[in-house]
Amino acid sequence: MTARTTSEEAVPSEGGTISRGGTSRRAALGRSPVTVTFALLIGLTVAALLRSGSTAITGQALLTGLIAGGVYSLLAMGLSLIFGVLDIVNFAHGAFLGVGLFVTYEVAHQTGLNPYIALPVAIVGLFVLGALIQLLLLNRTIGGSLERQLLITLGLSLLISNVLLLAFGGDPLSANLTSDPGVHVFGAVANLSRVIAFGAALVLAVLLYVLLERTSFGRAIRAVAASRQGAGLVGIDVRLVYVVTFGLGTACAGAAGMLIAPFTTITPTAGDQFNILAFVVVVMGGLGNVTGALVSGLIVGLVEQLGGVAIAGQSPLLGVFILFLLILLIRPQGIFGAKAP
Amino acid sequence: MRARNFVSVIAAVGAGVALVSGCGQGGASGSSGDSKVIKIGTLHPMTGSNAGDGAQLQHGAELAVKKINDAGGIKALGGAKLELDAGDTKGTPDTGQSEAQRLVSDGAVALVGSYQSAVSANIAAVAERNKVPFVMDISGDDAILSHGYRYSFRLQPQNSRFGATAAQYIKDITKSKGRPVTKIAYLHEATAFGTGVYTAFKSEAQKLGLAMGPEITYDAASVSDLTTQIAKVKASGANILVVSGYYRDGVLAAKAVQTVKPKLDAVIGAADGAFDQPQFPTDAGSAANGYFDVNYHLNDKSAEAKAFADLYQAAYHDKARASAGFAYDSVRIIAAALERAGSKDPGKIRDAIAKTDLNPLSLSNGPVTFDEKGENTAGLPVLTQIQDGAPSVVYPDNLAAKTIVYPAPVQ
Repeated sequence: MTARTTSEEAVPSEGGTISRGGTSRRAALGRSPVTVTFALLIGLTVAALLRSGSTAITGQALLTGLIAGGVYSLLAMGLSLIFGVLDIVNFAHGAFLGVGLFVTYEVAHQTGLNPYIALPVAIVGLFVLGALIQLLLLNRTIGGSLERQLLITLGLSLLISNVLLLAFGGDPLSANLTSDPGVHVFGAVANLSRVIAFGAALVLAVLLYVLLERTSFGRAIRAVAASRQGAGLVGIDVRLVYVVTFGLGTACAGAAGMLIAPFTTITPTAGDQFNILAFVVVVMGGLGNVTGALVSGLIVGLVEQLGGVAIAGQSPLLGVFILFLLILLIRPQGIFGAKAP
Repeated sequence: MRARNFVSVIAAVGAGVALVSGCGQGGASGSSGDSKVIKIGTLHPMTGSNAGDGAQLQHGAELAVKKINDAGGIKALGGAKLELDAGDTKGTPDTGQSEAQRLVSDGAVALVGSYQSAVSANIAAVAERNKVPFVMDISGDDAILSHGYRYSFRLQPQNSRFGATAAQYIKDITKSKGRPVTKIAYLHEATAFGTGVYTAFKSEAQKLGLAMGPEITYDAASVSDLTTQIAKVKASGANILVVSGYYRDGVLAAKAVQTVKPKLDAVIGAADGAFDQPQFPTDAGSAANGYFDVNYHLNDKSAEAKAFADLYQAAYHDKARASAGFAYDSVRIIAAALERAGSKDPGKIRDAIAKTDLNPLSLSNGPVTFDEKGENTAGLPVLTQIQDGAPSVVYPDNLAAKTIVYPAPVQ
């Protein structure tokens, strides 16, 4: 019984879930998934310590993983929101992140100022882009087959990266800070830009959570997620909710793109590498579960780095995909997901 | 219903492909009627994550064609003009293979490509099957030419030579500058390229008595931070870090080294795709200062290479990379072979390429000549260092443009 209470404390309130028929979520959330995940993380840390024989390396992996995880979280929250509300598997999410990178590059180079002034531009710009895509393209396919929307987003991702290639060329660009010193945390070190990205990603994630949970429009979004027809019957403009939700989701990708721009090589295909990882995070956190995406983003970041140290000589993603497969086998609804109705 | 839709889509796609390939063959017979044009097929990644490098290679080939045509074309064939038939590999082996097949069916008498070893391996097989010569401008993997192919040739030095040469250069420099190697940490990307260079480096280093420290690998496609890997380098106590990777991860490595500050006397790339690039100091900032790379390089002292760099700058408003020079030379090799063969027959062109004797734009041990495997025996990896915000050749001494700075500790 005590174990159950602690595991539930680790999970934010159930309201964060955007999924159908999740009424008995409390019952579905047994002690196993969350505790097992944390036990696994501790196990990986110990394995990394034994393997490397150095607290410095393990501490570095923990810090790097946590910080990388913050950006994964923000990115995946947008993806999860879109899936939860619109039922769209958005393959263009990485491309939207790429647009965020180039917006940052353009703003920083046109104004010659600090790249962080591009953050509001990237958020608003990507919100508008996403809203327009939903309004003009995807709203026409509501009620159609899942493949149609999936193919549209896949096509969009190709279109976006090739338009970027046409406009900016394939050569790498950068939007560096003038000074990017290391920040020391318990003997480990991270660039200032990465620490800022982590902090800002978490702040934006909390803002998104507040928007969904504490505002009437957020309630409307959750209502549409729970039942499109029901929400329509009580007078919610479902199409508007769809437009705003897709915009919010792409704004998350745009913000993530801006935040990683100072330490990333900017190319038209730079966003693609995040696509698969974002889907892994979303599925781990429970499809459509925004808070689940937040927590599992951090977990994926940590597993990637610790796994890279513990299973040296392999791709660091090996650990992530092992965990992913385990979750798919044991708990297909995700760590924080509700049982399917 | 759905199944029927699927079938009709497949049928439509199939018909489209048939139509396109039909057109291709029609085009080929049309152009072979025009004896004044000789088609050379190029296969580079024009889209996808390597599009920037693909454009450089393509531009290099275009400049060579322009130069040869302006000088009167192929004289042995009545002044026939060269024409590039450009394929886009998209950076994937299967697309490279189908594009190679398309260009051959289109009437290309020779192929040039492709920047990536996995893609070139497939193109080489197509070239062999169709008996059309294939000149590789950039592609390092030793295995491509290990099958006894007759129709494939490689201009760039193969990966194993970079690894072995890097070990030799490190031994020479650390010894002559009186700061010998205590331990070498090696960071490399985990595919055939990074592993191949590492294996060659390690076996040469052991012969030379250099102490090897940890081997640290990463996945170049997905990596977004190398801080943990560099923390391993710091913990190992090595004084030399050798890196073999691509451009994006090279920048990440340099930034991580600047943040973690391991006590290194030098960071040295072995065929690294970043540390010898003109834009590397722009993207990595002050982290780039003093970085070495053992790589191919344009011969900055030759008038011809200078003219090429100026021409490139004027035509494309960009700095020419060494790789563009290799594409340029590949086309020149084919043109010279056409002159000697006096024929458009791919078999005769192949025999003429095998007897190549041409001064390249890149630093080299004399003119390009191919051994029986098709490797360029004259290719010469040199050591460059980032000084004053630009890469310059610093070793071997007879080719150096600037004086070597060693130790070059992390700033």
